[in-house]
Amino acid sequence: MNRRTLFRKREFTVFGLIVVLAVVFSLTTERFLSMSNLTNLLLQLAGTAICAIGMTMIIITGGIDVSVGSMLGMSSVVAGKLLMGNVPVLLVVLAAMGVGLLMGLTNGSLIAYGKVPPIIVTLGMLNIIRSLLFQLLGGRWISGVPPAIRVIGLGKWLGIPISMWIAVLLILFFSYFLNSRPLGRAIYALGNNPEAARVSGVNLARTTLFVYALTGVLVGFAGLIYVARTGIVQTNTGTGFELEVIAAVVLGGTSILGGKGTVIGSLLGAFLVGIIKNGMILLNVPALSEGLVIGALILISVVIDVIRARGERL
Amino acid sequence: METVLEVKGIFKSFGGVHALKGVDFTLSSGEVHALVGENGAGKSTLIKIISGALQPDGGTIFYLGKPVVVDSPRKAQEMGIATVYQEPLVYNELSAMENIFLGREIRRLWGGIDWKAEEEKARSLFASLDLPSHFLKEPMGELSVGLQQLVLIAKALAYESRVIIFDEPTAILTEHETERLFELIRKLRERGVGIIYISHRLEEIFRIADRVTVMRDGEIRGTFPVGEVNRDRIVELMAGKLLVETIERKRSRGEKPVLTVENLTRKGRFYDISFEVFPGEILGFFGLVGSGRTDVAQTIFGIFPPDSGQVFFDGARIHFSSPEEAMRKGVAYLPEDRKIQGLFPILPVGYNISITFLKELLRGFGVVDEREERLRGERYVKNLNIKTPDLRTKVYSLSGGNQQKVVIAKWLGTTPRVLFLDEPTRGVDVASKSEIHTLIAHLADEGLGVVIISSELPEILKLSDRVIVMHEGRITGCFTRGEATSEAIIRAATGERLLGVRTS
Repeated sequence: MNRRTLFRKREFTVFGLIVVLAVVFSLTTERFLSMSNLTNLLLQLAGTAICAIGMTMIIITGGIDVSVGSMLGMSSVVAGKLLMGNVPVLLVVLAAMGVGLLMGLTNGSLIAYGKVPPIIVTLGMLNIIRSLLFQLLGGRWISGVPPAIRVIGLGKWLGIPISMWIAVLLILFFSYFLNSRPLGRAIYALGNNPEAARVSGVNLARTTLFVYALTGVLVGFAGLIYVARTGIVQTNTGTGFELEVIAAVVLGGTSILGGKGTVIGSLLGAFLVGIIKNGMILLNVPALSEGLVIGALILISVVIDVIRARGERL
Repeated sequence: METVLEVKGIFKSFGGVHALKGVDFTLSSGEVHALVGENGAGKSTLIKIISGALQPDGGTIFYLGKPVVVDSPRKAQEMGIATVYQEPLVYNELSAMENIFLGREIRRLWGGIDWKAEEEKARSLFASLDLPSHFLKEPMGELSVGLQQLVLIAKALAYESRVIIFDEPTAILTEHETERLFELIRKLRERGVGIIYISHRLEEIFRIADRVTVMRDGEIRGTFPVGEVNRDRIVELMAGKLLVETIERKRSRGEKPVLTVENLTRKGRFYDISFEVFPGEILGFFGLVGSGRTDVAQTIFGIFPPDSGQVFFDGARIHFSSPEEAMRKGVAYLPEDRKIQGLFPILPVGYNISITFLKELLRGFGVVDEREERLRGERYVKNLNIKTPDLRTKVYSLSGGNQQKVVIAKWLGTTPRVLFLDEPTRGVDVASKSEIHTLIAHLADEGLGVVIISSELPEILKLSDRVIVMHEGRITGCFTRGEATSEAIIRAATGERLLGVRTS
């Protein structure tokens, strides 16, 4: 992969926006450039970025997953409960990812084999998982997890949070995966023209199942990071998180029409959303306007996509 | 009889292709006027212009003696020109009655639908045609295709149509339904409705039509009262004098067939298809649209399962349950419509080509060897003379001919031993077309068994060593190069069974 394919136009635009915003916020607020603020920003972004990897692939295939917020909540609950029961950390990591895998497989099989539209399946799962989570927590919340795990959530290496390092490694790996593995190619092919993909010998069901299952695993891992960072799990943990992830992916240049997008773009998208939110808080802008700005950005980028796609048909 | 519809000097072109070159056509009231011609002769274009689906580039349409502009299908319908397409366009969830009155419901004073008045009117319509009306309240989707057609005809009458166009109405009807339709057409004629009747079944034309007009290459070749013309004359006009090009070939056909198909049947699509493909030969498959050629190829390639019959590859019986399996064995299929089944428009040329053989390019850890991928891609670009800036260019930005070459490259990449090419030059410019033909000849000379499916007779005659003709799901003719004349082939394609099933 050369530089040209790595930084396509869209990624540069987003990158430019991030730089501009960072400059604006560091000039207009005192705290934006402070170490504690930047660290905080990166800590919050890591989970979003990791989940955005899976979401990018799902949206490239032409699908969507709105259940990631509930899945994040569920895997945090599982991780939190196990940690409180003094289960070894490694087992907790595996359990959180395992629960995620299970939920992802459920989504994926209903979509791939049951042929139910992704929005319906994951909307149903959003509610089911959230309700199960209520049952599991029984109205209480988990707090005071053992310090051993909190290194994953709060620890730093070379001044950068460990969770962000993990996110970057995963993004590099999956970037390469999408480009250089047959399954990665199949994901793009499926999203651009499923019928042609089928005739070309791509196993459509298996590819679909894979992207949802992978998303489950990644969300499971993000849930663990969440517990490790905050130390608490509540019944509403992860509510609305799916929108943040989808916003990151869409702003990062992945087309909701399918077939187009990169995980690096989604990382940049996550940064863009994170910086806007962070800066607005520092500027004391009311929280309601935050939705206005991010919503408008999403609409603009989707409209650009749709307009551009008109010239890209055969 | 008065003239209800007249078109004069209609021109229409798509891109650089002239679909209609100054067509004159008249329709009288109380007349059934048949329109015949090979695929691409211009029938559909003419019908679409009359029914408002397309706008002509030049010429005038007169309706009831006055020049009119038919700028939308709705306008045509309101004027009184109705079209009944081969596959009825219906709303399956709505009742037959609702389908009839959709868009022009009978309303009460305050705007609600007057169901009673609608039902009465519908019943009287059906009664006037001597048709049963017990299914009026059934959902349209539960009616047979034949009944759906009747409902659409009733709809046309509800609009008080003076012209009704039937586009291959009998293609999907049973014999009984066909008889009922003919009966109905005769009644419509008695009422003074002018009917344009398109069909590939010439025998029907002699049964039902008053006049017949033959089209070829976007022009009218003649209009005759049916009493003054015979089948042979019509076929002759449809075929015309084709300028058959030749192409240099080695013609070194192998001894043993590489692919043998025996009595392959897929119910409702094709029956008892048997043929052989030898290495180094080009086998042409000709048939009009809907004759089942594409279904045969896609079934062999594993896209659809057959109901019965056998396929042998290299003498061993095989059954492909997916395209992937067929590709692995050495069978490739270039789909008819590159937009739907062939290309990934927003992906790079390189990805489009390599997708069928990615698995051969794997290095350790299941990684695609991108250097090898590029080398092979570049080789195809060079050999097939694909005009693209580089392998990273997205396919949608190439011309039609080059897009088609990308699809061909993709299938050659699987190093097949039998290659099915379904309409390989559709929508391709003349220069690319001739290049693709040379390429096909070259592939056969190298020992590949090529099956070329085409609706273009000149293409079939130019390339094929043998020609198989299909009509309505059955093989109706099999010709060697010497026997294959355009007239003989069209005769078989319009349903005259010339031969028993002879395979080679």
